[in-house]
Amino acid sequence: MKVHGKRTQHDSAVGRVTGRTLFVDDLPSEKNELFVDNIEQAEQKESRKKVVGKQVPHDSAVGHVTGEALFVDDLPSAKNELIVDYIASPVAHGKIKSLNYEEMAKLDGIVEVFTHADIPGHNLYGPVIKDERFLAEDIVEYVGQPIAIIAGESRRAIRQAKKHTLLEIQELTPVFTIDEAITAKQFIGVPRTFKQGNFDKAWRESKHKLTGTFVSNGQEQFYLESQAALAWPGEYGEIQVHSSSQNPTEIQEVVAEALGLGFHEVVCVCKRMGGGFGGKETQAVIPAVMAALVAAKTQRPARVAYSKDDDMRSTGKRHPYKIHYKAAFTSEGKITGVKFDIYSNGGAAADLSTAIMERTLFHSENAYFIPNLVFNGTICKTNFPPNTAFRGFGGPQGMANIENVIQEIAIYLKKDALEVRRLNCYSHHERNVTPYGQIVQNHILPEIIDQLAKTSEYRKRMTGVEEFNRQSTTHLRGLALTPMKFGISFTTKFLNQGNALVNVYKDGTVQVSTGGTEMGQGLNTKIRQLVADEFAISYDDVRMMITSTEKNNNTPPTAASAGTDLNGFAAVNACQKIRSNLSAFASRYFASEELGLDHSVEHICFEESSVFDDRTPDKTLSFRELVQLAFMDRVSMGARGFYRTPEINFNRDIEKGEPFFYYTTGAAVSEVLIDRFTGYLKLERSDLLMDIGESINPGIDRGQIIGGFIQGVGWVTNEDLRYSDKGELLSYSPTTYKIPNIQDLPEIFNVDTISNPHHQINIRRSKAVAEPPLMLCLSVWIAVKHALSFVQNGVSPQLNLPATGEEILRRLTELTNDSKNYGTVDDSTKEPEVSMVSLPPLAI
Amino acid sequence: MRDFLLIYVNGQRHQIYGEHGFQSLSDFLRIDLGLVGTKVVCAEGDCGSCTVLIGRVRNCEMHYEGIDSCIQYLYQLDCAHVITVEGLKEEGQKIHPVQQAIVDAMGSQCGYCTPGFVMSLVAMLETNETLTRHSVQDGLTGNLCRCTGYEQIIDAALSLNPDVIPRASKRFDVKAMLEDFTEHVSQPVFCEYEEKWNGTGQQVQFFLPTSLKEAVEFKQKHKNVIIVAGGTDISVQMNKERLEPNYVMSLTNLTGLELLEIENRTMTIGAKVTWAKLGEFCQKHFPELVEIISIFASRQIRNAGTLAGNIANASPIADSLPFLHVIEAEIELTGSQGTRWVNINRFYQGYKNKVMTQEELITSIRWNIPDPEDVLKLYKVSKRKDLDISTFTAGILLKLKNGKMQSVRLAYGGVGPIVLRLPKTEEFLQGKPMMSAIFQEAGKLAREEINPISDVRASVDYRSQLAENILMKFFHECCDNQNKKEAA
Repeated sequence: MKVHGKRTQHDSAVGRVTGRTLFVDDLPSEKNELFVDNIEQAEQKESRKKVVGKQVPHDSAVGHVTGEALFVDDLPSAKNELIVDYIASPVAHGKIKSLNYEEMAKLDGIVEVFTHADIPGHNLYGPVIKDERFLAEDIVEYVGQPIAIIAGESRRAIRQAKKHTLLEIQELTPVFTIDEAITAKQFIGVPRTFKQGNFDKAWRESKHKLTGTFVSNGQEQFYLESQAALAWPGEYGEIQVHSSSQNPTEIQEVVAEALGLGFHEVVCVCKRMGGGFGGKETQAVIPAVMAALVAAKTQRPARVAYSKDDDMRSTGKRHPYKIHYKAAFTSEGKITGVKFDIYSNGGAAADLSTAIMERTLFHSENAYFIPNLVFNGTICKTNFPPNTAFRGFGGPQGMANIENVIQEIAIYLKKDALEVRRLNCYSHHERNVTPYGQIVQNHILPEIIDQLAKTSEYRKRMTGVEEFNRQSTTHLRGLALTPMKFGISFTTKFLNQGNALVNVYKDGTVQVSTGGTEMGQGLNTKIRQLVADEFAISYDDVRMMITSTEKNNNTPPTAASAGTDLNGFAAVNACQKIRSNLSAFASRYFASEELGLDHSVEHICFEESSVFDDRTPDKTLSFRELVQLAFMDRVSMGARGFYRTPEINFNRDIEKGEPFFYYTTGAAVSEVLIDRFTGYLKLERSDLLMDIGESINPGIDRGQIIGGFIQGVGWVTNEDLRYSDKGELLSYSPTTYKIPNIQDLPEIFNVDTISNPHHQINIRRSKAVAEPPLMLCLSVWIAVKHALSFVQNGVSPQLNLPATGEEILRRLTELTNDSKNYGTVDDSTKEPEVSMVSLPPLAI
Repeated sequence: MRDFLLIYVNGQRHQIYGEHGFQSLSDFLRIDLGLVGTKVVCAEGDCGSCTVLIGRVRNCEMHYEGIDSCIQYLYQLDCAHVITVEGLKEEGQKIHPVQQAIVDAMGSQCGYCTPGFVMSLVAMLETNETLTRHSVQDGLTGNLCRCTGYEQIIDAALSLNPDVIPRASKRFDVKAMLEDFTEHVSQPVFCEYEEKWNGTGQQVQFFLPTSLKEAVEFKQKHKNVIIVAGGTDISVQMNKERLEPNYVMSLTNLTGLELLEIENRTMTIGAKVTWAKLGEFCQKHFPELVEIISIFASRQIRNAGTLAGNIANASPIADSLPFLHVIEAEIELTGSQGTRWVNINRFYQGYKNKVMTQEELITSIRWNIPDPEDVLKLYKVSKRKDLDISTFTAGILLKLKNGKMQSVRLAYGGVGPIVLRLPKTEEFLQGKPMMSAIFQEAGKLAREEINPISDVRASVDYRSQLAENILMKFFHECCDNQNKKEAA
């Protein structure tokens, strides 16, 4: 068998992200021949690669560091521009008896006040189920829900005017928790069930069984740029909206619907966002409609920019989950069956909750083969802002649950949890069918786990941790390795499409527009690299243009980690069309009767900014010269590219199919130190290893991996949404809501990628990165659980997510003191899934 | 008397009148001047996106440091030079080396926090700090980033060679500014305007005294005046509309309150001394306090906020208070009748209720340095370790004699409406040997002496448990220290 050594190393991989060698011996043999051919072909093509694979700085990096990169609220004000704000519901559930804003409307500097009655189109929308109102009508369903829009000359004027609102609301009984919603039978959508094998039988026949409840709280996206929109009235009733949105097409459509316009009368543009993370996939809609409505009604430009406080109080977050689990397993730790009754807290409207629950179902087995299973997914309707997309999209909660179950199995069997994980991990030829019928192919999950265990010295450190915990009276250590497998593609099939517009100009430079939006993830940088390589021109000769529905129509949101896959392919497709036109022209240009060369497109080469016929390589045209000549010859040099992901299908009637084009995978090892007296948690070391295919830009991907992981660490440790018992968010700004800061990095932090020669599909054989690394954070949470398992040797601690200092100390105290000091908690699994305290209400 | 504020922004001179002086620096930059490179996220000094450099005159020289522009109102910045991210740009020059380093290290993703990070790093260069991983983390504690996970920003900082990078402030004609400031700084400033948007036409006034006498007089005249030194809490309250004062007095140009001295083992701290200066001053005698200062506040906050402000703000979770309570600090109050000293343990009478009369100002704070063999420990528990408001705080001062506890002073914060001393627990421990069982029992007692509430930060249960456990933690730390000493 032929052994391949190092394959394409990223030539400028820096820091601790390095390509790793994987030997073909480890791989299933029958695929090797094909695989070798592919590699040889690929390596030939490789010689043309100039920019792809390099660490090119972010497309807007210079603008970022100089402050010249503009965000919506940085755009200069027009002379007659209006500032837009809103009056929000102060109660979680109520009936509006009266709203008196006449006083307010008369005040200096206030121009107009609008309610739902002023919306000329319709007031109802929703990305999946149309159950949400732009402005509340008679019922309010969450604290912070917009009721009326105020348009004024200045922020100061509005600030004063808002004090003059007279709003009379009759409070109705609110529902906050999953348990309350179940009792009240308040649900969103229909329950879904994934099944495989025969769980009941496995459960009956199993000697070893565990049951329990997993509870996770929500998480605020905390993009730094809060929701913002700027609307300009145009001619004939047209409206242009600058929106900080991951989904300009949706903004275009809902603004049109709200204003009673055709889609062709609305343009939505987005230059960039100051972070999105899913929070601007659907929820940029309300501010956009606010600004557009004011612009349409007053014929003046209108700007809305939420304060961080308002943003956090009135927009949705990552869903809280509660999962009741049953697991049956052998004495070796092999899982024979599980049943998960999964509930999410959807908030007051459907938003994306159904799709998010679907992704939870798709990820509730994470990286493990489970022969017999039942996953039931139910979404609860409650009186919180509609919960929405957030990096991972329901995947993290499902994966946290199964990792929790596996840890419990290991504690129960007194086995090393890594052994149990490895034993259940998806294999290559057998034990590779997911609960929804897709076969996990071309993966290297076992290899990732084994390599990471080795490089992180897992076993040696585990011995050290055990020894430490025997000795220390003041601290506890925990260590855990968790794998991660994340399916790439929107699970709603029609969203898996993208289009791009590429224009080549007469000086040989290129502009590219796609439906993808830039929120920091480096999408534009990667597309620029791809396009530069398609024409073999320099990166500087390509520019990414503002995202606009005027150039790219009917686009999906930039989400599901698929931005580069969909828009990159579409851009390349457009380039290929132009190149084909140019090649045809060049072939005629280089054809020579003298030399007996007929014109042949196959012989035209684009290399290093020049073009030639490979039969006469000395005779070249620069790309610029070619373009000029082609223009004179009336050759089209603009094209639209289109892409739809092939080979994906899912049948919701039978809940089986192949929803994902491929999987991005990885694993992480984390070690934590816990103060026994305060519950304070310190992340001492993390080692991350991911299979991200062949990176288009290793620097960007390294940033995505580290950034995603740290964001996840926030979710599982300190990010703690707290509400009053009236449903008001109390932790609504960074004073009280603590995302990780620079001191929260692990002291030792190793980040690596692994080469996966099986992965031969997708754009330049890359893989999506965006969401998957977030879920590597589960290693930290599970490490806490591991540490707590030493308190009463062999007693598995209940641990809710996030593991704040308070949560950790509560569990420590329960384990040591028979929970006497926490007298109220006799059954720890009955912990409320929403953290609420009794406080006098805060004014909103 | 002057009726305008004098502020330079990126070398440009601005005279600011009336209501324009009554706004945050970040609003002034973004709205009035159109300098939108400075971003505002939280408007409460917790994210650092709005970080700019402020140059002020000290000892006839300009000294620059990073602050959060969202919680500095213009009346705090009279006779100061502001450098924003736009001010780093020189005509025809490449971008600043700090900026280039962030570009090269892939240190920006969405870019919204980036100008703030740039300015915080530029501030570190300005104060000639050595760039190590540790110092960079400390220097950037006050800057939040949601995208990068910070590693690449640290990489960028560590790639810099401070020795070869020209200081950002050197680009400007500082001499001319100094002259201008010297000419104006000794004039008191008084500005007023009518708040016309609220329909009632209220007069709003702010005053910048240059002497204590002027300050006391203004306070006598306007009993409800809000006094601002660092403004790190007051400005937040104003941004969030929890406070809308009609009278503000800014101590910016008031001289004589910068005292830092030790005489006969008594330390005296002037009311305008910032956390940063206090931290430097306490390195030798109070490393525990230095540690608390470095944890609870970011650079930007330490450069603006003051100890006196922390005391005046009277929050039960103010981070300096347990220290001040166990050290029996005294507060100097100055009014028209002269000055008096009040022990901090008698200073608070209830939630946010102080014994100060309406016309008094805090002018300094003093305390005695304990004996070298005394043990002082300070504890701060918060959700996030750095730059977070405390859930629970504690100060413990122990005097040991022949292996027994001669006296113990205990002060807890976050467990009642004011910081509490625990007399019963103190009495219980007095004269007892250092033993685990003793501290276990003391913990139970301590739990009985407090009256915590549940709020956004923690539950009653957590706070009670911490009140109990912290004594055991203290015991173990003392034993550890003892063992280490013996081993040495």
